Amino acid sequence: MTETRFHAPERLEDAISLLSADEDARPLAGGQTLVAMLNADLLSPSQIISLHRIKALQGIERRADGSLRIGAMTTHAVLARSGDLRGAHRLLGEAAGRIGHEAIRNRGTIGGAVAHADPSADYPPVLVALEAVIEAVGPKGKRVIPAAEFFQGFLTTALNLGEIVSAIILPPSPAEACTHYEKFARVEGDFATLSVAVALWGGGVRIALGSVGPVPVRSAEAEAKLFAGQLSDGAIKEASAKLVAASDPIDDVRGSADYRRLLIPRLVKQAIRTAQAKDAR
Amino acid sequence: MSERVAVDLKVNGTTHRVSVPAMRTLMAVLRDDLGLTGTKNACDQGVCGSCTVLIDGAPARACLALAVALPGIAITTVEGLAQGDTLSPVQQAFLDAGAIQCGFCMPGMIIQATALLAENKRPSEDDIRHSISGNLCRCSGYTKVIEAISLAASRLTP
Repeated sequence: MTETRFHAPERLEDAISLLSADEDARPLAGGQTLVAMLNADLLSPSQIISLHRIKALQGIERRADGSLRIGAMTTHAVLARSGDLRGAHRLLGEAAGRIGHEAIRNRGTIGGAVAHADPSADYPPVLVALEAVIEAVGPKGKRVIPAAEFFQGFLTTALNLGEIVSAIILPPSPAEACTHYEKFARVEGDFATLSVAVALWGGGVRIALGSVGPVPVRSAEAEAKLFAGQLSDGAIKEASAKLVAASDPIDDVRGSADYRRLLIPRLVKQAIRTAQAKDAR
Repeated sequence: MSERVAVDLKVNGTTHRVSVPAMRTLMAVLRDDLGLTGTKNACDQGVCGSCTVLIDGAPARACLALAVALPGIAITTVEGLAQGDTLSPVQQAFLDAGAIQCGFCMPGMIIQATALLAENKRPSEDDIRHSISGNLCRCSGYTKVIEAISLAASRLTP
């Protein structure tokens, strides 16, 4: 039996070298999924490469163009109460506050959650709705991947061997945007049975669904209906039908595929109306 | 199996040098290496809350943290709350309110409640319910736990 070795490099390049030289090595971010998988004997990595000492993966930075760069090791708890999130970016903080429980949010990171790509997780629909970009670093250097291309399937992403998520970049957002993250789960702290991420502003409607397909569901036709119909009840009904058609839910312990399809119109309407109510506030 | 790594763990104000396998969780080190069995082992998946401790002052699951990744970071377990023979206000309130049944979930509940009251001096019942939503009790219920946390809050901030 081989021994699992532990490394906690300070330099990002050293972490990448270790990870790209050994496909059985695993990066450790907040550990809220990885350690649970180790405990369940679902993984037996040759090496654990902890990322917690790498400064380049930390911090939230507002860039000159109004975009926001969120370091991969930023915890859900920090995002849930961050004053750096304004306009449509607040959607990310709303979703962060609905992940698991407080003790999980204090340790779990956005980079780890995004790299894990659970279709029922809270960030993926938000990042697709906001047209976020995933910054990845690997042996060939840094690259950026649009969220809609990053999430490729159940627990499957565009990351290559030796690549890790280094940051999440949210594009500039108008200050007047209003948002809502609506999550329906069986109990507090559970994964979503269905989630709806909505951002609204003068010229745009962005909406994406989580937990009703292997990747987040977004529909240009649905958004066009909502925009043209100025978010009327009729427009929401038509848009919901487009989203149902674009979804590909499965039966699981959280609900049947049919049940999830029934939830879509109800939760979409609730999400939009709640976002609008925040705008009026 | 994994290689053993020396790590200085700062638990309840005392630094312990332990040599542990890389994959050993903080929960296992607390219980098996340091004998601090107040931190309970139940689900091992971060779901039940019975292993909740404070890491750098914030509630965290000891079963989802690797001990080797926590050198020098302040860790507080339920054993670190009392001052000598005097229970902490939260511990005393749990006793006085009759919140304790089999006791298994209590260390996690008490740690979680201690963290809540450090941040929120006058929590509403809803705040309390949210705070302990990640701590499962399988005896019967949460009513007396909520009463205990309210009692502790009222004693700490009259």
